[in-house]
Amino acid sequence: MDIDDILASVDRSDVSSPESTALDHQLITRFWVAERSVPELLPWPARLMDRMMERVRQQIEAIEDLAAASSDPSTAIFSDKPPNASTSTLKLSILQTDLSRTQYLLRSLLRQRLSKLTKHSMHYLLSTTSTPPTPPPPSQTPSSRTNQMQPEDSIPFPDDPPPRTCPLSPAEISYLHTHQTLLARHFGSSFLSSFPPQLRRLDDNAGGTSMLQGPDAKEAVFVRCLAEEVPIVAPPGDGVDEEVMGGTMRMGDVWVVRWEGIKKAWEKGDVEVL
Amino acid sequence: MVFPFPRGITPPEISFLAEMEMVTIVPRQRLEGLELLGGPVEPLIPPRRTSVPLWLASLLKRQRRANILPPPWLHPESLSLILDIETQHADYQHAFSPPPPLPGQPKLRDRGTQKPTARPRYTPESQRYYPTPPFLPQNVAQDQAYEDGGEPPTLPFHWLEVGTMLLDVASDDVVEPDQTRRLLKELREVRSAKIRAGVEVLDDAAVAGGGVTLTGVGAMEIGEGRGFIGGVVDGLRRIGASKEQARREQLAEAANGGYDATQDDYDEMEF
Repeated sequence: MDIDDILASVDRSDVSSPESTALDHQLITRFWVAERSVPELLPWPARLMDRMMERVRQQIEAIEDLAAASSDPSTAIFSDKPPNASTSTLKLSILQTDLSRTQYLLRSLLRQRLSKLTKHSMHYLLSTTSTPPTPPPPSQTPSSRTNQMQPEDSIPFPDDPPPRTCPLSPAEISYLHTHQTLLARHFGSSFLSSFPPQLRRLDDNAGGTSMLQGPDAKEAVFVRCLAEEVPIVAPPGDGVDEEVMGGTMRMGDVWVVRWEGIKKAWEKGDVEVL
Repeated sequence: MVFPFPRGITPPEISFLAEMEMVTIVPRQRLEGLELLGGPVEPLIPPRRTSVPLWLASLLKRQRRANILPPPWLHPESLSLILDIETQHADYQHAFSPPPPLPGQPKLRDRGTQKPTARPRYTPESQRYYPTPPFLPQNVAQDQAYEDGGEPPTLPFHWLEVGTMLLDVASDDVVEPDQTRRLLKELREVRSAKIRAGVEVLDDAAVAGGGVTLTGVGAMEIGEGRGFIGGVVDGLRRIGASKEQARREQLAEAANGGYDATQDDYDEMEF
């Protein structure tokens, strides 16, 4: 156990404290900016989102109580002085503005994730399972089985529980699976059923070109370096097998770099996406 | 389920973020402390100064329940000093004036000798967390003037949004609002000219492991340039795919052979 672990356990102490509320607000804000800016879907922050949703629920209850109390004439009889109407309206409007701002943040985050999901639906659906459906060998002669082949057969069925690397939340997985199944059925009934059976799959990779398109991790993002030094890496690919170090970012610097080059550092919290 | 926005936060969203910046107010009426979802707000007791988020400050200001103390950089004197740095200083002919240091980051003149001493906080998931704007006190009023520290004034990350919003809501609290407005506009022009001039080096961001520095840039300036810069970099990357492969092989060689001159090349590239 090193000093970082000790510090971590101190900071982790109390989730319901006001400091933790403020920290979670900062975390969700940063996550929202990152989700809006990077090309691919970020891992679902399950615990952070649970805490945020719970707080939103409590805040709505608190606001309802307050609104009921301020509009209820019976409370005025028991208090010594008449309730300060303008103060309680002000308090309510502040609380409601704060609530709306948080709800906007969460809504925008979820909508952005849905838009990424539907754009590359098959790609993300494949990430929910470790056993993707295997396409039949392309040279297979049409048999009675492949004649029954429908487009929705090519849709992967999500594992339960999903693989650890899966970036989707359980609700997103069920949405995505239903969405893609509906879409495949619609394609099937509108035009794919008139195709030869072996051409009906939605994940065909005949001719070496996959039909599945994923997000482009090479797209450029704006980042700020937060740790002392962060190297920009060029991950393996394009004929080079190992990871190569490129430039070095120093603390406080703002850079335009490829998302793939700083993705690892982002996961560690050493850079911030702007 | 249509989400019409492009990748990257849009200008209204950047203003939304800037409204989370803390500013100093002098309340004119009492209000008990509130537990907000964005963090607790201290009780308002006139005439004690309090730091509140900008959205709350402008809400109180509009209802004349508080006065806003403008941040020290939003002063004609500070702004003209920054404008001098942006236009006259030899080091910043092609770069933005330096941003305010992050917590734990040494002062600009000590940066060669001192190491940063940033201590991250930890999230409940035990991840490292370094606070950054809009969650740093870059826009709160300070008691001491700049002369004491000898540090030149700096433009915070959300300078354009905070400045514009304060001039909008609380122009009677800002010193010489017309002069301030004019200086903000000049700064904006000088800096956007630098962004336009910097397009030439964008090629460096289009290769693997490469990048272009924009240190000191403001949030709104990123928002304005995002579509263009992102588009140019991605376009150049597609054009230069073959060139990149050759370069990657060279980088791999350099990494294996212990030849490390390539790394230094990157540090010189600045806008």
